[in-house]
Amino acid sequence: MFDKLKSILAKVRADYSDVRYEIKRETKIGFSGKELTLLVSSDTDGYVLRAVADGGMATTAFTRFEDAEKAAKTVVENARLVAGRARRRVELAKTDVVKETYLPELKEDPRKVPIEEKLALVRAYNDIPLKNEKVSTTDIAYVDTVREKHFASSEGSEIHEDLVTTRVAGVIVTKEGNLVQTTRVGVGGSDGMARARNREDEFERRTKLAVDLLKAEPVKGGTHRVVLDQRLAGVFTHEAFGHFSEADLIEDSPTMREKMKLGAKLGNDVVNIKDDPTMPGQLGFYKYDDEGVRARPVQLMKAGVLVGRLHSRRTAAAFGEPLSGHCVAEDYRYAPIIRMGNIYIEPSDKKLEELLAMLGNGLYLLNAMGGQTSGENFTFGAQYGYVVKDGKPGQMVRDINIGGNLYQTLENITAVGNDLKLGEIGGCGKGQLNIRSCHGAPHVLVKSVVVGGR
Amino acid sequence: MEKLLEIAKKAAEQVDIYREETVSDSVSFEDAKLKDVDSSLQSGLRLTLLKQGRLGSAYTRNLIDRQGLVDNALASLAAGTEAGYELPQTKAPEKLSTYDPSIEELSNTRVVDECQRACDLLTGRVKAQLSVAAGKTVTRLRVMNSRGTDLSTELSDYTGYAAAHYPGSYSSVHRVKTAKGFVQFDQEDIDFIADTYNASQKEAKPASGPTKVLFLPEAMYVLMWRIFAATNAKSFYQKVSPVQDKLNQKLFSEMLTITDEPLNDSRPGARTFDDEGTACRTLPIVEKGVLRNFYSDLYYAWKLGAQPSGHGFRGSIEHKATPNLAHITMKPGDKSLKELLGVMDSGVIVSGVLGAHSGNILNGDFSVGLAPGFRVEKGEITGHVKDAMVSGNIYDVLKNVVAVGDKLYPGNMGWFPAMLLADVNFAVKG
Repeated sequence: MFDKLKSILAKVRADYSDVRYEIKRETKIGFSGKELTLLVSSDTDGYVLRAVADGGMATTAFTRFEDAEKAAKTVVENARLVAGRARRRVELAKTDVVKETYLPELKEDPRKVPIEEKLALVRAYNDIPLKNEKVSTTDIAYVDTVREKHFASSEGSEIHEDLVTTRVAGVIVTKEGNLVQTTRVGVGGSDGMARARNREDEFERRTKLAVDLLKAEPVKGGTHRVVLDQRLAGVFTHEAFGHFSEADLIEDSPTMREKMKLGAKLGNDVVNIKDDPTMPGQLGFYKYDDEGVRARPVQLMKAGVLVGRLHSRRTAAAFGEPLSGHCVAEDYRYAPIIRMGNIYIEPSDKKLEELLAMLGNGLYLLNAMGGQTSGENFTFGAQYGYVVKDGKPGQMVRDINIGGNLYQTLENITAVGNDLKLGEIGGCGKGQLNIRSCHGAPHVLVKSVVVGGR
Repeated sequence: MEKLLEIAKKAAEQVDIYREETVSDSVSFEDAKLKDVDSSLQSGLRLTLLKQGRLGSAYTRNLIDRQGLVDNALASLAAGTEAGYELPQTKAPEKLSTYDPSIEELSNTRVVDECQRACDLLTGRVKAQLSVAAGKTVTRLRVMNSRGTDLSTELSDYTGYAAAHYPGSYSSVHRVKTAKGFVQFDQEDIDFIADTYNASQKEAKPASGPTKVLFLPEAMYVLMWRIFAATNAKSFYQKVSPVQDKLNQKLFSEMLTITDEPLNDSRPGARTFDDEGTACRTLPIVEKGVLRNFYSDLYYAWKLGAQPSGHGFRGSIEHKATPNLAHITMKPGDKSLKELLGVMDSGVIVSGVLGAHSGNILNGDFSVGLAPGFRVEKGEITGHVKDAMVSGNIYDVLKNVVAVGDKLYPGNMGWFPAMLLADVNFAVKG
């Protein structure tokens, strides 16, 4: 394979070039309600070629090897076009030349499991909610995605790494009269199919929740004190903070760069945040990113002070900051961009009961329903919550969206729990999808957020 | 493809092949400077087999082993996805004008020049961080099946985007331009971005509570998403649509008319057939507030015992076709933006949102952060609103349409005018 890739690089007349060839193997088995609506297992492949020429950088993706010549010409033309008009010359931070094949150790390789067995697994999980009469339908799918990546650069790196992701995930829909509630469910991970097995309890729990939500009250909008569970605090960490630790998202915004200067005090003293793609067994694990840079843990926030950032080779050089190995693509169709690996708020010493007692009166909010950010403002949904009175959770509430200002909210996190948990299901869309985007946190107390009712 | 069809016909009763080829280039400027020029050449096909009421499929980017692909699709068929329908027999319809050949000559340098021109025009008018991007895509599609259907089309698309960002944020005032061929930002686009940005620079704090809210075309998708989820044949079949038994009932204001217009080739992307080879036709979804139709692909039409409406779209070879509204347009009203603000007098404008995808979409609920939103006082924009949300349910708020804008703009999910609604919940922090 590497000889073929080197023959492509030989066609590129540039100061630097790299090429990534990937075979993407996917198996997808989906149920909608009791019906099997999808069962497919196929492989696709393609190339992503990057070049730096005269200080400009560009990317061309292609799927047919016969197009390599054309792609090599196009990518250099594009790089030269950028070079003539860009703000600054592209430099790439120096990285080690690596020749390595890294195949992750898997607890059960989904490539070796027959499709019938995968079908039986998702069918059994799907049957759990369907047994409940309040459940009107489900949409639950088994998906395994294998990226077999071969990376070669003009500097001499040759890296083969496989990323194997397995999951069973979807939604449970409950209905009573005109009221419809949609509840997410999902299990999976990056270390083999075993993680998606024997998880009936999770589907039972989520079914009960989906049914209970029919009896919940819509939340009252307004400004509230809240305790966020691990998933919600994780989404906040990822959406509101994490994205602005991605150097490519702030590099061309002078105002964001000013706010996100290393050394700036942005959060409460109790807030420590790290991104670590090297955590074994976690969803966001990888050894090398899609620029051939070895992934490393990055302390992003220490006692509320911004101390680190996520980088590509280009941004590390432009910012004069250390390489982090966070430049990752969705697949063979895309140029790599800066992504989080496993991002989380580090745990402290408070038990959940202590946080609720500190909350006194307010809301205990749980489970994320997707989030979004526009810089300093963020919005995300919570699946459900409880009205807390004198530290005791009572009435269940639903239809919850939370919004706020990143910097104020980081300052408003006044206590952090001891129960760190990272997510099993990813799905960050920053132009392209990252199914291994992983985030987590312990429970946290936030002294003020805007809650929009419906 | 013909060879593959022949091999596959020996293995199954019905065979469908979907092939796509796209060539695209994109250019982006950040903070008014050229940042990226990317290109992409992608091709591939998806094979679908039907046999004894079951369906199997397989896809590939590089068709080397035809028999292997057929065997793979057969293996997928064995597990038993039900499919009791017949593939469509669609005669090649009259060609629409979907391809502007001048797009072939459009160089990335020319696109870079146009983005630069937009940056220069805006730089003279606003003190804001500017993002400008543009790109072109040529798509070639072919759908053929064992019942003799053999359809192909060539589509060209040029899209430009210009935005002025508020400090410290990615919230922006922006405009999108799209056409079958190269199109420049015009004076009205530049004026809209510059004037709106300049008028809204100050932060404003309107009081929380029910208020008049103007959704700009670029934010209309928040409301439309809920209607499209409810009128999807899949939601009907699964009995989770809140409008299941409400076809031909008046659910919304008379000022709301939404139509799917796949044959309208004045815009890029017009289609005479969907990705499953079913003929496309104009489909009213809402007519003067009355709910008219749901939309379907082959599978859900069969499940519901209905005629497929020609809405089976895939997005790419990796995906099976599902019901999708790809050509939505809303009927414009009679008010210019200035007149809408006059009618409104005081209230809030939603220009961009956060969290359109969260909340109970099927139920019609929305609850979105404003990014950005503007305050309107005495018919004028007087500032931008931060840390604020608007929320409600479309089956309530779309009954209270006060006025509709007179011009359509391309937004997420379709072409929309601005729409002024009465009494939408508004909550602001502080």
